Amino acid sequence: MSLLALHNINKTFGPLKALTDLSFEIGHSEVVGLLGDNGAGKSTTVNMLSGIHRPSSGYISVDGKRCDFTCRRDSAEAGIETIYQNTALVDCLSISRNIFLGRELTDRFGFLDLKRMREIAMQVLESAVHISGIDSPDKLVGDLSGGQKQAVAIARAVFFKRRVLLLDEPTSALSVRETEALLQQVLKLKDEGVSSVLVTHNLYHAYQVCDRFVIMSHGTKVFDVAKAETTIEELTQHVVLT
Amino acid sequence: MTAIVDHRSGAPRRSAAQLVHGLLSMPAGAILLVFVVVQLACIIAGLLFPDDFRYLSPQNMGIMMRSVPVLGCLALGAGLLMIAGEFDLSIGSVYTFTAVVMAVLVGNGIDAFIAAPIGLMIGAAIGLLNGALTLRFNLPSFIVTLGGLLFWRGAVLLFNGAVQVRFDPNPVFNEMFSGTILGINAAFVWFILLCLVFWALLHRHRFGNHVFATGGNRSAATAIGVNTNRIKLAAFAIAGFMAAFAGILATTRVGSVQPGQGAGLELQAIAACVIGGLSLRGGRGSILGVFLGVMLIFTITDVLLLMRAPGFYLDMFIATLIVLASIFNHGLDRRGASI
Repeated sequence: MSLLALHNINKTFGPLKALTDLSFEIGHSEVVGLLGDNGAGKSTTVNMLSGIHRPSSGYISVDGKRCDFTCRRDSAEAGIETIYQNTALVDCLSISRNIFLGRELTDRFGFLDLKRMREIAMQVLESAVHISGIDSPDKLVGDLSGGQKQAVAIARAVFFKRRVLLLDEPTSALSVRETEALLQQVLKLKDEGVSSVLVTHNLYHAYQVCDRFVIMSHGTKVFDVAKAETTIEELTQHVVLT
Repeated sequence: MTAIVDHRSGAPRRSAAQLVHGLLSMPAGAILLVFVVVQLACIIAGLLFPDDFRYLSPQNMGIMMRSVPVLGCLALGAGLLMIAGEFDLSIGSVYTFTAVVMAVLVGNGIDAFIAAPIGLMIGAAIGLLNGALTLRFNLPSFIVTLGGLLFWRGAVLLFNGAVQVRFDPNPVFNEMFSGTILGINAAFVWFILLCLVFWALLHRHRFGNHVFATGGNRSAATAIGVNTNRIKLAAFAIAGFMAAFAGILATTRVGSVQPGQGAGLELQAIAACVIGGLSLRGGRGSILGVFLGVMLIFTITDVLLLMRAPGFYLDMFIATLIVLASIFNHGLDRRGASI
């Protein structure tokens, strides 16, 4: 049974048809590359999976059970974490406050348990995410590099035991070395049972880590293939020609 | 031997430099430094020339403590709202309006302990209205509350005409808001208490974390699951509430309300916040900064008065301070962004 599945999803924004009859699945411990040119509907798909948009028709299922996400919190509860292009972090807050943003550890009256938040943040950053240069959870996120920011976002997903990571163009703002580290991180998480959806333009990055590829064009799926049965040339052709 | 001496003299100097550097990179560090320097200078001058510069005289201290809390309370509310990324220009008018309502209610025989909470509720409700209009129609709060400034200024005249209202509360109420507690002015005690409450709320509570996130990066905060609209609404309500509270303090102190008394206070409150290191774009600042910003405005005003400078110097000095502070803060913002 698939972990996460889209069933015949249509989405319209007024007169604009963004998605047409889109269906695909994400399995357990699987890295899926969601590919396609600009305007293919990749970001709309990600927003729908993370609960920001609702499908006009069709539905999403988690573990075979239909789920209607009405907001970000719903998808988070289903175990989905989205890591955005320009990562959803607040520059003016510290790393530990960012990791726990929206899910703060507090006492009964809502006061923050800063000490525990700091300890856990440091622990997660040391054990789960290996990106150099972060030595204190009190550093402001605004002072970090692009790769370090992604690392913080991933640390957040790891700590909250997410089952699916949606990575929307994660490598576009990263240096070569940071990209490499991020892709390794995705593979490491796969070994731990976390699936990922890698949304990207960059077929080479996708080919490096993905088990399966879903290619979209004009709001619908045009190609769905396992890595073993395809080549990077064939993928390029589908992205360019459809 | 010389090497050891060199080492010893070098170490503290380096750590002092580090201390200054650390202080300057703190949100309110620079203003704290300026504040301490100004205070020390005033105290030394006060000790050296006790007759010419009466900074340390009990009368002067008393005047300071009585005049700080009104602007201070307005600035606390305005500052929290600024950190959440919005403005409220209407707080000066709301301050007058709620005070007039409260004074008229008391004049009609209603107990001050009932009238004051009604004033506070009206303040919070006006804040909520500002917030609802801003968020519902996706307008800049600057415009919405500019409307609020004019509207409630007019409403004061509509409600009670252009006459002064006497405020004669019961003695207990009077003692609570304008008496003295342990030799300290009660209004000042309220201000300090509220500073502590705001500090806890903003820097140690979940709400504050969400306020910073909302002002710092609204789309990120929304994506993570913070209800940014609710946070902004709450911040607007708090700003209105604090305006009404400032109204209570001012009215109790003076014993009457002038219909035009709040004009310009909203800008002074924002000025205090800017001096205290709050960013106009939101997401940056601290309660310590707001406190020091308010204190600095009054210290400088006080010094100029003690030196018998003509009144227009006050505005010019504060204007210079605002511009210098924002140049400095802008530098910090840019440095943060470039890393």
